Amino acid sequence: MTIDTSHDHQPLASLTAETGGKTRRIAVHVVMIVLSVLSIFPIYWMIVTSLRPENEIFSTAMWPANPTLDNYVFVLTRIPMLQMLFNTTVVAATTAGLQVVTGLFAAYALVRWKMRLSGVIHGLIALSWLVPFQVTMIPNYVLASKLGLLDTLTGLILPNASHAFAVLLLYHAMRSFPTEILEAARIDGAKSWKILWQIVAPNMGAPIASLSIIAFISAWNEYFWPLLLSRKPENSVVQIGLQMFMTQEGNLWGPLMAAAALASLPILIIYLVLQRHVIESFMKSGIR
Amino acid sequence: MPGGLACYRPAFEKHPDGPTMTDIQADFARPLTIARAPAKIRRQREPFTISPWLYLTPALVLLFVWTYIPLVEAFQLSFYQWNMLPTATPRYVGLKNYERLMALPEMRNALWNTLYYILGLFPMSVIIPLFVAIWTQDLTGRARMIYRGLIFVPMIVAPVVAAILWRWLLNEDQGLITLGLEQLGLGRIGFLTDPNYALATLTWITGWKLIGFSTLLFSAANASINPSYIEAARIDGASRWGIIRDIRLPLLSPTILLLSMMTILFGAQWSFAYINVLTNGGPLKSTTNIFYLLWEYGFQTMSAGWSSAAGMIAFLGFAILAAGCMWLTKRFAVYDN
Repeated sequence: MTIDTSHDHQPLASLTAETGGKTRRIAVHVVMIVLSVLSIFPIYWMIVTSLRPENEIFSTAMWPANPTLDNYVFVLTRIPMLQMLFNTTVVAATTAGLQVVTGLFAAYALVRWKMRLSGVIHGLIALSWLVPFQVTMIPNYVLASKLGLLDTLTGLILPNASHAFAVLLLYHAMRSFPTEILEAARIDGAKSWKILWQIVAPNMGAPIASLSIIAFISAWNEYFWPLLLSRKPENSVVQIGLQMFMTQEGNLWGPLMAAAALASLPILIIYLVLQRHVIESFMKSGIR
Repeated sequence: MPGGLACYRPAFEKHPDGPTMTDIQADFARPLTIARAPAKIRRQREPFTISPWLYLTPALVLLFVWTYIPLVEAFQLSFYQWNMLPTATPRYVGLKNYERLMALPEMRNALWNTLYYILGLFPMSVIIPLFVAIWTQDLTGRARMIYRGLIFVPMIVAPVVAAILWRWLLNEDQGLITLGLEQLGLGRIGFLTDPNYALATLTWITGWKLIGFSTLLFSAANASINPSYIEAARIDGASRWGIIRDIRLPLLSPTILLLSMMTILFGAQWSFAYINVLTNGGPLKSTTNIFYLLWEYGFQTMSAGWSSAAGMIAFLGFAILAAGCMWLTKRFAVYDN
């Protein structure tokens, strides 16, 4: 079964007339070009600055006269950037994976069984989304330090291993799963575990992919919790490394931009490869 | 097409069988609709089984351990005085923390700034995207895809990276924008160092991440409006503005309300990273919002009691706002059925 996306809805010819002629068409492009430049230029400027040699750093030319990778070399030798990129990958991938699994389990429980308390549970899960992290940060911090999780990757992953958003996204996707199939499998004597992994999960490909993308990107960009937990750069994630680097070498603009570029590179690559899917995942699922 | 994943469709495209807008809205709003009854699936009531609870355990344990129990603990802590040292015992002070906070000008200042962030985000998260989406609705094909790919990018840029990018562009000595404005004869502006500008600058950076994404959401919703309504209105002689006002805006209301709700509830939280990376709440506390204040009390001045009390005030305030927003959505959103 494929999802039908061929009907990219476009205004009818008569509708275009609703909105005028050539001048307007140009104006439309002007608006979109302004918005595009606004969105993309800061990133372009980051890359250009990161490629400039030191004596050219304050140049306002749109492309460096003598591009160099010196700034990248500087960053890689100065801070444990590769280690932090590795840590961040581990944290983001594990967080995304755990959110998928805990989300699948919880959603499955709510869809498959009719429980008296399922309304309450659903509400509890949804409400947790509205608790700002800054409100619970002190007890969380105390708990993490009691468990010896300060300055560890486990500590960064654990509180995010389940998220209301993940449960709800999968719950709503799963709800439309035809109950007849579940019933039939059950009558055939299949155990719930088997039904989940052999029937439900394989049909959840699209929502699972969406959730993984969003969870990975959010975990990669996460800043607040690592800020509380991290001590040493080599045990930390790239966002914290970036902030530490800025605090120490804030006016070395070339290396700073190189560090920022390295920190965003994996996300930008994912975006280039999976662009359509990333945009659609975010649009379907909202802002986190 | 069997119904298996029918609910899961890319939102940007038009459904073959009807408007997408309500779908988008529903998908967004559902997670926030707190008391929604769970699926009513035809099934006999089964005797109590342990299985569902086993499946629910991981999620529920994590939620309780990391969200609900800490929330209760924070509530308790708000009646105590404690410097967060494991060796010190918290001292019960009753409502003193709340009384102190209410009397502190810092708190009032932070609340005003929070309001400023939220209201300042509106043009970028709702108003401009709404009109850009309507204005550019007949863009088609390749151009549309290219613009779409570009304006989405800020959404996935890490807040720390965004902060650093703008810190460089707006740098007081050599920033490209500062130099540009100077060339235009506007003089040098201390975007991040002048108390008159810093708050607006941080609001702008927060909004920069949202503006393209909101535009895409509105475009998708707008593109899914049934063209026959517009056609009918035109035949009846409606003006362009009349069509926008009487057809497009009402049918876009679910998306408008949704993005407004997101802005109100999360806007101040989104700005946290920029405050912490760029200004530390300064200059002269001009950029401190309530969430930054919590952080300052908690981890800089080490007054866990104050932080928790301020946290409770914030939580309660935003909970009331959330309830209000959901009521508004129910009351005013127009769905095309």
